[in-house]
Amino acid sequence: MLVTNSSESQPGVTDAVLIRRVVQRDETALATLYDRYSRLVYSVAKRVLADSSVAEEVVQDIFYQLWRNASTLDSARGTLAGWLLVSARNRAIDRVRRRHVTDVELAADTPSRSPNLETAASQTQMMAQVSKFMGDLPSAQRTALEMAYFEGLTHSEIAERTGEPLGTIKTRLRLAIDSLKKGLRP
Amino acid sequence: MNGHPQFEEDFDLYAMGALEGEEKLALESHLRQCAECAAKLEEAHGRMALLALAAPSEVAPSAVKERLLRQIRADAPKVQASGAPAFLRWLAPAFAVAALALLVVAVELKIENRALLQKQSDLQSEAQVLRQETERERSVLDILTASDTVKVTLVSGAARPAPEGKAFYHPRKGLLFYTSNLPAAPSGRTYQLWIVPAQGNPISAGVFQVDSLGNGQVMLPALPPDVTAKAFAVTLEPAGGVPQPTGPKVLVGLVG
Repeated sequence: MLVTNSSESQPGVTDAVLIRRVVQRDETALATLYDRYSRLVYSVAKRVLADSSVAEEVVQDIFYQLWRNASTLDSARGTLAGWLLVSARNRAIDRVRRRHVTDVELAADTPSRSPNLETAASQTQMMAQVSKFMGDLPSAQRTALEMAYFEGLTHSEIAERTGEPLGTIKTRLRLAIDSLKKGLRP
Repeated sequence: MNGHPQFEEDFDLYAMGALEGEEKLALESHLRQCAECAAKLEEAHGRMALLALAAPSEVAPSAVKERLLRQIRADAPKVQASGAPAFLRWLAPAFAVAALALLVVAVELKIENRALLQKQSDLQSEAQVLRQETERERSVLDILTASDTVKVTLVSGAARPAPEGKAFYHPRKGLLFYTSNLPAAPSGRTYQLWIVPAQGNPISAGVFQVDSLGNGQVMLPALPPDVTAKAFAVTLEPAGGVPQPTGPKVLVGLVG
């Protein structure tokens, strides 16, 4: 699966060009962006939700929102990949927590320092880096970080879930974040 | 909180949603008045986007794309239905006829223009796909025909039909790997291909699944250059793969 070519469809066409075409109602441009990024979006949603069918709904929702509101994306503010990854994670957690999601301007969810993942090679390389970073973390820190990130739990919810003191959880998360800042840059 | 947060990590914890209570309220209050800390929060949001890539890689079923495209096509008539009548109401009847005629011409030109643009875009896409396929086939041919490509057969030694893999590897040109007769990986597991270098730890060459006939492949994975391979191996690992092998060896082949 790792070595698929689907995300290389129209490799010379940048996200910015495809987004402009989506704004002009070009559905082939949306299909190209879907081929380029659906694997990332689905992977995050599936990891959070642990449910294929709900993860599929999240993927469809996110790309449908891109279709409806592409004109509100601000390419100067961040990358499409950044918006898709943050949205996938946030929307999946909202589903878990049964929070209502409203149709918002896409720029609001776009981190300004987000990664450029327009090619399959850059996606594979960055996934390997993040995977190595997670693998190198002490397991207690990794568990706390995964619970916070992929389950959307707060400090005290993690403490309650693991039976560990709140201060211990805070320390583990801070150490993990410190390593993250040193080891990975968008 | 009037001053900066005591811990720099608070920005990431806030971006992640882990911060709560007093700490969260204090940071939010401070962010409203401190541009420097607002910029740090932006950086934290970027790191949070990266962290999403820690999720095991999975491919959405093709039905999702089909449903999405059906959904946006269902939207199309609604978009076109609004606008024109309100616009025309503002025109005097005499101008309305002329405007309508111009509108018809403009729409025809727009349709023709769009058709031409679409055709141009399709041709460009087709050319790009062909270029990409040609480059890929040239890379494959390069590896298969280079005199210094090593060819390794990986076997399991089990009863027939025995699972088998063939690796074609050139340190600068890349790696091709084909396998046959492998059983489907159990749920939540995946096959992972490894290059075992002459020195150092195994290097992942990607994860793969097999089809209903037991065939799988890994084509030209991203690898560090100029690695001298001592052996190749396939292991069974958790879905998404792992940085270093942990599961049982399914296939192994030594170079030379």
